[in-house]
Amino acid sequence: MPGIGPKSAQRMAFHLLERDRDAGRQLARVMDAAMERIGRCERCRTLTEHTRCQICANARRNVSLLCIVEQPSDIVAIEQAADYDGLYFVLGGRLSPLDGIGPEELGLDRLEARFNEPELDEAILAISPTVEGLATAHYISELARCSSLRLSRIAHGVPLGGELEFVDGGTLAHAFAGRQGL
Amino acid sequence: MRAQALKRGFVLHRRDYRNSSLLLEVFSAEHGRLACLAKGAKAAPKGRGALASLLQPFQPLWLHWVGRGEVKTLTRAEAAAPAIALSGERLYCGFYLNELLMRLLARDDPQEPLFVFYQQALADLATEPMDAVLRRFELRLLEELGYALDLRRDRHGAPIDPSRYYGYRPDVGLEPLLDPRWESVPEPVPVVASSLAPAALVSGATLQRLAAGSALSPRESRAARGLMRAALAPHLGPKPLRSRELFRRRPG
Ligand SMILES: [Zn+2]
Repeated sequence: MPGIGPKSAQRMAFHLLERDRDAGRQLARVMDAAMERIGRCERCRTLTEHTRCQICANARRNVSLLCIVEQPSDIVAIEQAADYDGLYFVLGGRLSPLDGIGPEELGLDRLEARFNEPELDEAILAISPTVEGLATAHYISELARCSSLRLSRIAHGVPLGGELEFVDGGTLAHAFAGRQGL
Repeated sequence: MRAQALKRGFVLHRRDYRNSSLLLEVFSAEHGRLACLAKGAKAAPKGRGALASLLQPFQPLWLHWVGRGEVKTLTRAEAAAPAIALSGERLYCGFYLNELLMRLLARDDPQEPLFVFYQQALADLATEPMDAVLRRFELRLLEELGYALDLRRDRHGAPIDPSRYYGYRPDVGLEPLLDPRWESVPEPVPVVASSLAPAALVSGATLQRLAAGSALSPRESRAARGLMRAALAPHLGPKPLRSRELFRRRPG
């Protein structure tokens, strides 16, 4: 499991078995229910118990904005940190032909369909700036080219509070390419 | 401690391993393709960027690793030059080159000339017409792997005649087409052959221009692409190359 090595996993298992079997059973029930009930939102592909997730079903969200992210956990991060009230689309990864991940695996045909919805004005790409992320962003920009959509991407660059001399060359190159007027 | 001898290399592919490590497929000049574990590469030391941002495809690297088993352990990595700036479809071409190498190179088989061609192809991809770079690399790849495609002679040893058309099948080679009616057939028309062997139809003029590395017209490019696809097919096997899917109208 990500974040838990074999030693920690063993400690957790012993703790539940030796000291707290009720909590262990409770955990098993919750996990079982989650594995059974949680599926993908029909609009944005995030994980949800319903056919539409809370964000897609929320009438107060701004339907003219669509933020494209890699993972459901990215939605959580953006919701917590940013002042964003639009909708989302979850790719579930990045284009990576060597891993067998192509346009179909990322649901890009569904994304293209959403680009053609009249209420949408702007799509924001929030994809990591790895080479696969850049390829994904390019592919999506090609999908959007026929529509009148505005396409933007979140800025990549020097971390807040970071010192320039410690920033790696690739990040620095991106930061220069994406410089802004003052 | 002895000074570590750093070796030139590129990351062909990487995937996450455990929490913060990366499992790399490296193409190194002196050692060929090898698997290398970069422990803790995704964890950023205080105030610094993580090594993971350096260990990406198309970044010329100096590398040092230890270990004798199937998977080596990376001990050092430095940028040998700025990352090769590929964007848009040129990135897809880069993936295509990497996929070819992943599929066709055996591990731990030194391929020093091929490394030089690969590095050159990446550099050329940033500026030159993509098709020309890909065809040149495919020809060199086949040659270095011992399956050189002779573009100057047909299967009977006769020099290529620019006014003729040739059928190509990997198991047969270039066969001049006798029927003069072929000469009015627009390229590329696949030659119907057995379902096992892929085939291509190409004009002698295109073959000559491809051999000379000259610029190709869009029509000649398509024919050259078909020819190289057929030539690579027996070595790639039936599993399709996934990077070709990314080109929506203009497959690699
Ligand atoms: Zn949703």
